[in-house]
Amino acid sequence: MSAPGTMVFADTNEGEHLALLDILDHVLNQGVILRGNLVISLAGVDLVYVGLDVILTSIETAMRYIHASSGVPEKTP
Amino acid sequence: MATQLKPTDRRVLYLYGVTRSQPAKSVRLMGVDLESPVEAIECEAVICWLSRVSADEFEDSLTKNMENLDWLASASVAHQRAVGGIAQHADILPARFGTVFRDENSLRAHIRHHLRGMERNFLRVKDAEEWGIKIFAIAPVAASGPKARTGREYLQAKAAQLPRKKPAGIPEPELTEFQSAIQGIAEASAPPGRISGGQRGLLFQTSLLVKRNNLSRLESVLRKFSRKWASSRRIEKSGPWPPYSFVSQDPDSL
Repeated sequence: MSAPGTMVFADTNEGEHLALLDILDHVLNQGVILRGNLVISLAGVDLVYVGLDVILTSIETAMRYIHASSGVPEKTP
Repeated sequence: MATQLKPTDRRVLYLYGVTRSQPAKSVRLMGVDLESPVEAIECEAVICWLSRVSADEFEDSLTKNMENLDWLASASVAHQRAVGGIAQHADILPARFGTVFRDENSLRAHIRHHLRGMERNFLRVKDAEEWGIKIFAIAPVAASGPKARTGREYLQAKAAQLPRKKPAGIPEPELTEFQSAIQGIAEASAPPGRISGGQRGLLFQTSLLVKRNNLSRLESVLRKFSRKWASSRRIEKSGPWPPYSFVSQDPDSL
């Protein structure tokens, strides 16, 4: 639906793994930071990066959720 | 209807982003919790895109949930599908993942306070999309050894094919040439996210803000370098993403 595709300018067999990493990369990268006494913004994002190794080794588990929500980005060759 | 809501039933407003106006046709999208639909409400001079989510899940336990990879994978994909879906209909200023408001009054007060900064951001992202660019080293193909007879041998052979150390980066003149070629086309570039930084063979990555009518120029530059580097490097481009990396980082200017 609205999942961006990955255009690969050469062959890769890791397309699906790349897709989740890319989603996390872009979604968690920045975005507007909101602040205020009635606004709860995400202060703990850095905790995610600390877990990089966990993320890289847990991709298989995560992929099940991607499939479950059918948000698999298409690849345009 | 006078039933008191239990604390766990309390709902907060999860904000996906802000657009200038309502799209011409109605947009049906599922929210970040995969339960509640995304709504577009008029909010001062702009449209706020939100869904009503569990306060327990997205306010009280957000930090804890963010450390749970299963939850994070599901929520970030759902967040992307919602923001990406809105972006197909209107230029959007994406809110940061996990931004919630207690009620519409607090949301409106916040928007009112940031209208001027939003105006600058709208000009910046007009007709533009975010694209991720990555360059990988291509590992030389290892000579195929004797056919593996057991699973263990197969895994050992597989491991032997992996690059043993971090690949050398892209030599300076070539990297500069590539960067100036893509920067001449993009409106802006931003440091990439850090999650995929540990990918094997990754030599370079960046996020670009590119006007839609410049996309084919970007693609032809990537093709050119891809041909030139065919034996040593692989270029990947992902997108289009909503302009997550190109809205102001200054909380006071939004």
